[in-house]
Parts: sequence; structure tokens; C-alpha cells
Amino acid sequence: MNARRATSQIVVLLLVLGAICVALRAGTRKELQLVPGDTFWKLVYEIDYRAKKAGAKLHAAFPHDTAHSRVHQIRYPDPKAGQKLRISPAESREVNVIAQKAGSGRLTTEFEIHLSPHGGWRSESGGVALTAEARAGYLHAKKGIEVDDPIVIATVEKLQSDPASRLQLVERLFDFCSTEIGPGGKDAPADAVEALKKRVANPLGRARAMVALCRAAKIPARLVAGLVVRQGENVHPHVWVETLDGNRWEPYDPENGFSRELPHNFLPVRHDGVSIVRASDMTDVREVFNIVRIPPPAGAYVSEGRRLTDILDLTRLPLEMHEPLSVILLMPLGALLTCFVRTIIGIRTFGTFTPALIALAFVYNDWRTGIFVFIVAISLGLVSRTLLDKLKLLLVPRLSAILTLVALVMVFGVSFLDYFHLTPSAQAVLLPMVIMTMTVERFFLTMEEDSLQFAFQLLAGTLAVACCCYMVLRWDAVGRWILIYPEFHLFTIAILIMLGRYSGYRLTELWRFNDLAGPQRDIANGEK
Amino acid sequence: MAVGIRRWAWPSELRKRGVLGINARNGDYVLLRNPRSFYPRVDDKLQTKIISHARGIPVPETYAVIERCGDVRRFLELLGDRRDFVIKPASGSEGRGIIVIVDREDSTFITAGGERIDVAEIRYHLAMILSGLYSLGGQPDSAIIEQRIVKHNIFEQVAVGGTPDVRIILYRCVPVMAMVRLPTRQSRGRANLHQGAVAAGIHLRTGQTSGGVCNNRAISVHPDTAASIEGLQVPMWNELLVAAMNLADGLELGYLGVDFVLDARLGPIVLEANARPGLAIQVANRRGLCPRLQFIDEQPPEMLRPEHRMGLIETLAEIG
Repeated sequence: MNARRATSQIVVLLLVLGAICVALRAGTRKELQLVPGDTFWKLVYEIDYRAKKAGAKLHAAFPHDTAHSRVHQIRYPDPKAGQKLRISPAESREVNVIAQKAGSGRLTTEFEIHLSPHGGWRSESGGVALTAEARAGYLHAKKGIEVDDPIVIATVEKLQSDPASRLQLVERLFDFCSTEIGPGGKDAPADAVEALKKRVANPLGRARAMVALCRAAKIPARLVAGLVVRQGENVHPHVWVETLDGNRWEPYDPENGFSRELPHNFLPVRHDGVSIVRASDMTDVREVFNIVRIPPPAGAYVSEGRRLTDILDLTRLPLEMHEPLSVILLMPLGALLTCFVRTIIGIRTFGTFTPALIALAFVYNDWRTGIFVFIVAISLGLVSRTLLDKLKLLLVPRLSAILTLVALVMVFGVSFLDYFHLTPSAQAVLLPMVIMTMTVERFFLTMEEDSLQFAFQLLAGTLAVACCCYMVLRWDAVGRWILIYPEFHLFTIAILIMLGRYSGYRLTELWRFNDLAGPQRDIANGEK
Repeated sequence: MAVGIRRWAWPSELRKRGVLGINARNGDYVLLRNPRSFYPRVDDKLQTKIISHARGIPVPETYAVIERCGDVRRFLELLGDRRDFVIKPASGSEGRGIIVIVDREDSTFITAGGERIDVAEIRYHLAMILSGLYSLGGQPDSAIIEQRIVKHNIFEQVAVGGTPDVRIILYRCVPVMAMVRLPTRQSRGRANLHQGAVAAGIHLRTGQTSGGVCNNRAISVHPDTAASIEGLQVPMWNELLVAAMNLADGLELGYLGVDFVLDARLGPIVLEANARPGLAIQVANRRGLCPRLQFIDEQPPEMLRPEHRMGLIETLAEIG
């Protein structure tokens, strides 16, 4: 049989190829040394708080990537009793805690940070296009940064008396703040006006003074709260200034006298703010930042310079991309599972990849929210489908009507859950709407054409397979591993091809054809 | 009689009985013997009809084919004064979307199930068929209005609420197994096994039914009427076999299921053909398909020519 031989040859080829690729990568990963000077650090946030009431919020910013530093890994705690965690690293780079009830609580978060004095990473601030509104925000007065105060205006006018380019003016303002305003102790002024009046200020005062002067000179500027990475317990955050030059934010540190280029161990954490942790309706917020140096973690390395082969290295991509990338890479395992369930076990489902797609939607959301919304959407969808049946609508408009209903249920279901504090997160549940609609339609048709029992059987099969897929997709360890070794999917393809040639019995057939295998009784009664 | 109540069988037991599993059916027979490009010949009932007609195989007379939504309004006009007819989607599967009308009073129609429906409901159903609700893959479809088959009285006691049909599985144009499917109350008059219809095996040489199966379990009497389903003689059996082989030659599909109905006046009529016929026929006949398929594969090609096939059937009937 030709197809059979070709299949086994391709499978062997894929397996060998996969093994070679994995081995090659493992080899190069070992060979690639850390660039001398690169260091790894563990940064731990320990934040204690006392919530005044349910709904009190705490926002802890986490470090930004720069040309010299990268957050290598983040470990969030599991939400404790009375806590809701919202983590949206991609947009806000914050961990948000919402207290479920009054009382004290604690948030611990760990970051692994990779510092490289040589730099060369894509910097976040490497090119920003501000909207007019955002730009105006960086020119406004704020508490502690009184842009319109006469002394601020007078100082700027004095410094602007000689004509100067924009850059020269920023340098002049910076020089003024780092030399003319003297360092003061804890009691020294912490706001721009007092700092300019008394010519002495604490580090925050100096930074605010510079921001105020820049803004008064119509140069967008902001404060940056960050950490200076060095071993230490209870490290204090440090505040410096960034001014917008064209479309780049340039850092200035009036306290330490660095301009335009900060030492590589300066780690920006909160842009446009003075504290790493913000809280509302909370008291006794105590934040402790501990930093320790750690040995390079397994799998962390840097290649020197840019090489084309870096394209094959997915771990080089920014941390925010790691999760979606590993979910994408886990999807084939979901498909593999679907194939297994269909060809080896023989469970029937609504639609071939419906379970995998539902599972994918659940991965990005809290599963309790997902299941609630799923069940409500399916049941309301069915009720409305039954009602719509009486109206005798054409297929596509009818499907679209159900889709609309599913969309509404998804939105208000989440709103309902959030209102009653029933779920730890109020993220919108992006269930695949089309898939849900088709499931409703198929369920209804199966119910009408076959039986309710069979429809439920299919639904149960769909959910069971979706559960298995969900567990596969949530498999963090495998997710991280497959991001390092994506060539593992050569094995996946090999297994899929083997499954495609499987001609043995499905497990359900062992039950289905049971009567056939019985002790020859039927034959004995028959014609023989 | 029942020796130990085990609800499942070991794979080795099934293999010993030559049971064909769905993976083997797909991988070793359907994919190998049925070229994809020929599928429309069976998936579209109109094409099957045309091929059957060209080869002189009797098919239900087509009254009208509705292909455009505009024609739905002309339904009564197209129907003329016919009192009984069948509406079916051209590319439907598993009997979905079929309405059988047994009588009418002006524009009120009476279905085989005794329901009264008006012309508006029929038009809606036609529109549903055209929009592809019942077609494979949801493609836009056309609706066929055709002659209703009058049930042959041989099956009067064992077919409840519908018309029984005879399914023949042909491998490389040689019939290898046959069964008759009998509607029940549970299957709501349809001859679909997974909806609860009864299937009875047919001896390939004699055309006599043996014991049957309902809901995947062996039975020997009809669940609704308690009439025996064993020993019934399918009329015009040889003609039926010849027609099946003739159609298989025309369709050029190596692994094929052909469904016949027995009309009281016209004898065996081809209802439809299927490129992926189900496997329950093995349970109905209480024997596996594999040995028979292997027997065909062992024959030299010239033995599969039409003139030798009847001889092969004699042997096949006793295999398994």
C-alpha cells in the first residue's frame, strides 16, 4: 500500500527532523554564553494594605523594559481570599488588587530582571507618537508642579534670555536644577515652587522643579518613578525626569546629575507619577521593594548583536507577547487532542474545532465567568431560537439575530457578575460568537431532528473535549517550553499524520459493535 | 443464551469477527476507492437521478426542481393538481429536511405523520432548503419535489409511519451486504437508524430478512407492532441487485451505499446513493464487512466484471 509506506517515511522524516532541530537548539542555547557584564536580579514587591471598604483598589506598576533592562519573568500570586486581581500587562503594566471586603491584605509580586550594560534591546520609549491631548497633559500644572507660579515663569524667562535651541534650553534647565538647587534632607521642600524659592530641595523637589520649568518653557516633561537596581532590602524608589524630544523621551536625573543617558541599572517603573504603588480607599499602605542578584536562569541568554537566526528565537520577543505566543503554539496541541478524541475515542461534538475554540476563549478569561456566560448564552440562545422558529425567518437573518443576542448576553453577563462581585475579574469574555451561534443552531436542529437526549449528548461531548483542550492550553510549563522549542510541532505533525492513518477501532465502537462480538449465539440461531 | 453481560468488546474480538470500524472505512476504503471529484454524483440527488435515469434504473418521478427563491412563490403552480408528493433537499443528508405529503385539501397539506400544514409553511420550508439549512456544509441548495412512493404491502406489519428502504453496500461494484430499514414510532416515520429505526439484515443471495437491530441492540420483532422481522422476502430481489450494480458502475464509486424503496406498483426504485455509508449494517446482519471486502480484493480484476458478479454474490452471502 503506497500511501501507507509514504506516510511512515514522512513520519520518520519528521521525527528525525524534529529531533535534530530540538538538539540543535538545545546545543546553541548551551553554547551561547551570557554576555560578560549581563546580570540577573530578582525584584520583590511586598505591599501591605488595609482596605477601608469593599471595592478599595491598589495599583502596583511593574518595571518597563528599556534598552538595557528587560523583565524576564513575572510571578503573580494567586488571589487570596477577599482579593480580586486584575492583571493586564499588555496595556497598563500594572497589577491591580480590588479588595472584596474591608480589612488588611498583602500583595506579593516577583519579577526577574535581566540587565545588560551593552543594551541593544528595543526600547519602549524608542518612538512615541503622542496625541494632542496627551501632549497637553505633559504641559499642564499639577500639584507640586505649579507651572503658572510667578517664580517658575521668572526662572524660565531668565534662563531663556539668551537664545538657545530646544535641546540647549533643556540642558540649561537641567543644569539649573542639579546645581543651583541644593540637596536637602527629608524636611527640604518637595514641590517645585518651594524648591525654586529656597534653592534647596529633596530629590523629588528637584525633579518637580525641572518638570515645572520645562513645562513652563512648553517642553513636555514628566516624572518617572523607578528603582535603581542594586542588592538591598527595602530599596527606596527614585524619581527622575523625562522630557520629550521630538518623539523620544529623554531622561534627566537632577539628583545624580545624569542627563540623556542613565546608568543601565536605572529601572523605570511608573511613568508620570511619583509612587510605584497607588491606592484608593486604603490606609496603611506599606510598600517594600527587595532586590537580590540571582544566577542566570536556565534558558536566559543574549546573543551578541542582531542576527537573522534570532527570528527563530521567540523568547527574544517582549514579555507581553510571550503569553499569547505560547497560547498560539499550544493550539496545535488542542487540535491534536481533538483528533485523538475523535479518531481514537470517538466522542461526537458540535463542529470539529468548536471545543478547541471555546477552550481558547476561556484561556484569556476567568473560567468561572466563561462558563457562566457560556451557559447563559446557550440557554437564552436556545429559548430565542425556539421563539424565532415560529416567525419562520430565513437562515442568515435568523443566525444573525441569535448572534446579536449572544453578544448582548456576553456583555451583560459580565456586567451582572461584576455587580454582584461573583468573579475575581471583570474582564470581558470574548467567547467566539460565531461558534456560539452555530452551537445554538446545531443544538436546536439536533433537538428537532433527532432527540433532546442526543443533543445533550453532543453538548456534553463538546464541553468535555473543551475542558481537556482548556487544560492543555493552560499548561504553563509546556507553554514556556514550547516557546523555546517551537520545532516540537514537527513531532505534533508526525503524530497527526499517524492519527490520520489510524484504522483501528474507536473506543466507542467497542460498545457499539458489542453485539457482534458476542459468543457466536446469533450466528448459531441464524442460517449456519 | 446471554453468556455474561458485558457492555463492550475487546478490539481483538471485533477483529476476529471482521467488524469494519469507521476509521478503517474512511482510511482504507472511502478515501482509497471514492475519488472526491465524483462525490457530487451522490451528494446531489439530482445528479444521482440523472445518472440513474440514463442507465434505465427506475427513480421517483421528478415533479419540479426549485432552485431560486423566486420559484418558491410559484410552488402551487408547479405542483399542479398532484395530491401526494415528497419535498427533499437535493444535497440533504441523513433524511434531514424531507417532507412527505400524503394528501391535500386545496392549499392545506397532510403529512405522512398526519400533521396538517398550509402552503405558507411549505414555502418557508422550501426557502430553508434553498438557503442551505439541510445541505452538506451549509451550501445553498435546491429543492426537489418528486413522486411519493407507495409502500409495498410486504412490509405493512413492520413499517410504522413511513416507508422502509433497502440499503445495499457495494464494494468495487459488487454487493457485499444488505439490510432493510424499518421506520418506528421513535424514528417518527424515518428510516434512520440513529433516530431509532429498525434495521434487519438481508441474506445477499435469497433476499430474505434475518434478525434485526434497533438502537444498536439485537431484536427479532418490530418494537411497535411485535411482528416478526425475520424471514420476510424482499420482492424482486435479483432486479434490485442488478439495479444496484448498474448504478455503482454509473457512479464509479468503489465503496458505495445505494438506498432503494419498494413501490407497490413499480418495484425497487433508487432513492439515493451514499459515498460514506454507515456501519450499522454490520450489526443488522450480525457479521463484519471486512472478510467480504477482503474477498473482493483477492479476486482478479476480470472476476469483478458484471457477468461474474452474481457468482461472487453466491459466495459472499456465506462469508462472515
